[in-house]
Amino acid sequence: MNIIKVSNLSKTFKVKLKDKGLKGSLKSIFKTKYKEVHAVKNISFEVEEGEMVAFIGPNGAGKSTTIKMLTGILYPDAGEINILGIDPRKDRKKLAYNIGTVFGQKEQLWTHLTPYDNFRFFGAIYDIPNDKIVTKIKEFTELFGLEEFINTPVRNLSLGQRIRCEIVASLIHEPKILFLDEPTIGLDPVVKQNIRSLIKKMNKELNTTVFLTSHDVSDIEKLCKRVIIINNGDIVLDDTMENLKYHYFNKKVIEAKLAADVNVAEIAGVDIEKQKGTNYKLSVDTTITSVAEVLKRLRLENLEDISISSIPLETIISDIYKRKN
Amino acid sequence: MKKYLYAFKFEVMTTLQYAFNFIGKMVSLFLMIFVFMNLWNFMYDDPSQAINGYTKFQMIWYVSISELIYFVTRGRQTCEEISKHIKSGNIAYTINKPYDYVVYTLFTLLGRSFVSSAFYTTFIMIIGSAFTGALPALTMVELLATVLVFALAVTISLLLVIAIGLFSFIFEDSSPMYWIYSKIWLICGTLFPIEFFPVWAQNILKFTPVYVITGPSRLIVNFTVEGFVETLIAQIIYLIFTVGLCELVYRKGMKKLNVNGG
Repeated sequence: MNIIKVSNLSKTFKVKLKDKGLKGSLKSIFKTKYKEVHAVKNISFEVEEGEMVAFIGPNGAGKSTTIKMLTGILYPDAGEINILGIDPRKDRKKLAYNIGTVFGQKEQLWTHLTPYDNFRFFGAIYDIPNDKIVTKIKEFTELFGLEEFINTPVRNLSLGQRIRCEIVASLIHEPKILFLDEPTIGLDPVVKQNIRSLIKKMNKELNTTVFLTSHDVSDIEKLCKRVIIINNGDIVLDDTMENLKYHYFNKKVIEAKLAADVNVAEIAGVDIEKQKGTNYKLSVDTTITSVAEVLKRLRLENLEDISISSIPLETIISDIYKRKN
Repeated sequence: MKKYLYAFKFEVMTTLQYAFNFIGKMVSLFLMIFVFMNLWNFMYDDPSQAINGYTKFQMIWYVSISELIYFVTRGRQTCEEISKHIKSGNIAYTINKPYDYVVYTLFTLLGRSFVSSAFYTTFIMIIGSAFTGALPALTMVELLATVLVFALAVTISLLLVIAIGLFSFIFEDSSPMYWIYSKIWLICGTLFPIEFFPVWAQNILKFTPVYVITGPSRLIVNFTVEGFVETLIAQIIYLIFTVGLCELVYRKGMKKLNVNGG
């Protein structure tokens, strides 16, 4: 069942323009010029219940604008949004009861109070009865391992602990969809891993649909089975993670240390990405030349060391960003 | 309603963590009242003399209660907080929570004001008694009625400050508006009760928010049932008007809001 349906969604911002220097500042008092920025252009997509979707793109691509329109923060200029049968423009309050949001750079917790008090507060905000909220806090504390700091004021928590509490606060009313906008921004690798496990656990145990934006490729790779890439306000790719990797599977990276130099540039389908003496980093298009053929040309007896790997997802995504630009 | 009471309670809890901050503010409250008291000492040759219906004793208590409302409201700071919230676009993130922003903000501010009222009222009662030698004479019923109009005066005052802060949606910087409002409040309500103005000006001032906000100051020095009813009715009208104004500015403003970074 599709619980997010977006069709022909568009949003344009009017941005103030000012000429250079003092003259420009004075001129702008009397005549203000504006420029239209088409942040989101006629995009459409659907998300099924229980899916974990990565909605990614470079800075200024329109991903945050889209997520804000989906959560009712911004009004779209055109198009339709249907979240669990609710139009965010018409019934934001009803929508708020059914979705959870975490904006990695924005705090929603009361920093001077403890996570426990905060969860009680969020329980009241979402009209959860007192006895139910106490049970729920207990459940979430165990599920997400918050016992250690549940009674410590939020201002004294580490960033990782705070983000964990932010996520729990967004889940307290058991939303069907969780919108996560860069939830792991600024976190160290260990904490990032913890947060990812928490999101996975939540998806598995509560069947929460996750709509995630992140610049961290590991978040996307480890959490999502589907990826939507937006660039310059257009959706440039909407596919499964498996397909995305498969399409690039025919590209391999060979790092080789040779005993004697070989004219690698002559080999069709092979690009030299880096070279230092007889150390090479090659990218091989296996639809033109097989890895076996490349190894043959490099001569096995000439190889001092070798490693063969697939192209990292990060490179694949940057390549898509660049191509569509 | 439960959610707003929680907002009130949690703001009380937060404010109590910084109770020591009130000590510094009490010093400035003391200085303000001290300056006003000296001014009125200078104006009144004879303490039993009445100027425009106010004796020196009444005048000092009038000023003290007016200053108390001003300090409890913390208007400039509140206005700046809301203004900053709007300019940074952070206000947008409150929209996807199932509460009414204006009512939620009002209840958090009331929570803060509740704690500060307790501290400042005790302080004012002590210094007021020290300066005048006695507390205003009120019966228990009169005291309760005055407390009611005091609570309404603070609520209306907070709503006006919220409305001025929300005007940042339109003017980007609402601090000049607050400056004008606070000066009118100072001159036409705190420094001089409206009875000090010509009759035609009094008739105009009676329709301004200053009249309803300074209602408790008038009642504490000269309680009359007519005065109480008149103030209460004016406050109810202003309460409805200010809530409506805040909601209108908020709704209009949110529609035109562009959130930073998307």
